[in-house]
Amino acid sequence: MTDMSVLDQVEQSLRIPVLEGLQAQGDLIVIPVPGPIDPPGARWVRVPPEGVELLRGGAGGNTHMLVAEPGTCRWTPHRADWQDLGVFTASAEVYLLHPEHGALGCAPGTYVVRRQREHERGGSRLVAD
Amino acid sequence: MVRHEAAAIREQWLGRALSTRPTDRPAAEAAISGLYRLIGLSPPRFHWVASPAAALETMPPGAAHSETVQRLDAWPVPTRLRALRAELCAGVDLRIERERQPVVQELHRLLWLPLGRSIDACLLPALNPRTGRWYETQSVSWIAHYDALRRVAGVSFTAAQLRVLALWARAAAACHWWWPRQHVCVVSERPVALHTEEGGARLHNPDGPALRYADGWRIHALHGTRVPDWVLTDPTPERIADEPNVEVRRSAIERLGWSAYVERAGLRLVASAPDPGNPGFELRLYDTGGSSRVLLAVNGSLERDGSRRQYGLTVPPYFGDPVAAAGWTYGLSADQYSRLLRRT
Repeated sequence: MTDMSVLDQVEQSLRIPVLEGLQAQGDLIVIPVPGPIDPPGARWVRVPPEGVELLRGGAGGNTHMLVAEPGTCRWTPHRADWQDLGVFTASAEVYLLHPEHGALGCAPGTYVVRRQREHERGGSRLVAD
Repeated sequence: MVRHEAAAIREQWLGRALSTRPTDRPAAEAAISGLYRLIGLSPPRFHWVASPAAALETMPPGAAHSETVQRLDAWPVPTRLRALRAELCAGVDLRIERERQPVVQELHRLLWLPLGRSIDACLLPALNPRTGRWYETQSVSWIAHYDALRRVAGVSFTAAQLRVLALWARAAAACHWWWPRQHVCVVSERPVALHTEEGGARLHNPDGPALRYADGWRIHALHGTRVPDWVLTDPTPERIADEPNVEVRRSAIERLGWSAYVERAGLRLVASAPDPGNPGFELRLYDTGGSSRVLLAVNGSLERDGSRRQYGLTVPPYFGDPVAAAGWTYGLSADQYSRLLRRT
């Protein structure tokens, strides 16, 4: 997915709804928050042209990728909740890509990216699909 | 360019590591003998076995009594070979110019880490115990990385460093795991069958053993989860109910199919509700009679064959509302989750 060309992305963006609200992609959910937020101690990185790997599947494959036009999105792996992966703030639309789930488009704003959990005896565990 | 060259080197070394071809015994013995000489020892006698299991169960004739596999990391030869490898790596690292550091880090990310993950997932299951510094020392992950430093990053090696790296590389390319005692080295043949998915990321074979050696030692695995053979041959609701391991249980249920499992296990439907964000499909909550309930959902995206996959998630037993249970999986309330716009 990291080698996805700009044209591929443009082609996808024509079909992907860009939304402001809550959206889920498999075992991840994107939660809009009244932003911008700047948690203390958070280390922000600019999302590079090849994107940011948010989460790899079970043992390496099926990665959830965050992609944005250069200079329009920053990401921090800050976790306010144990299920969180981090937070991104975008000034233009950004996309979450995954090889087996449809892409999500997020309108400019701030979002928390969170993982899904499952119940098991004595507690919860994170889902890896 | 770095990315393409690194990918080519990664595939080359992954292919060697996960190979099921017969070993090249003369090449392996020559390389291992060369490593023994470098640490000041005479070449050992070689004792070949069909599988790592056989190597771990065999005390070869001539081995010192103290050299049991339980104490592998304290054996003298692996200790000295680890030092030899550490000296090589430290020596080469010192020769990396500052401007090459970004490329070196990129190679670490593209080669060392993914190869290490593949070896851990695909080859370590044949070992018991699976951990040990000696196994990491034999892993192709660091060998491929230093190979790439030379071939891709243009780091210059001394002639002596090249000779040492070449011996490690030849040993890794010629045989499977090896256990070097002072006078005898046990070397395993490669597996005769090794099935993986996602380009060697994890063991997977729905039709038979995922890893099998010539002496019959074998394991079954689905999507990287090691499973008993009944999961492949006869997954029944009764066996699933008796299985204590949650990963194995899940593999068996997926083998059976979630909807078939729900039906055959006679799970009671507690409630169903429209799935927010996935128009036309329902969330269905079932009582398993146990300490969890099962939430059955339909995937938001089509599979490659055009079907939609059903999947189940276990949720706490106190939920009666499927939407509240779905929200819980993401740490959200029913009200929050009901505002889901889209799920793929």
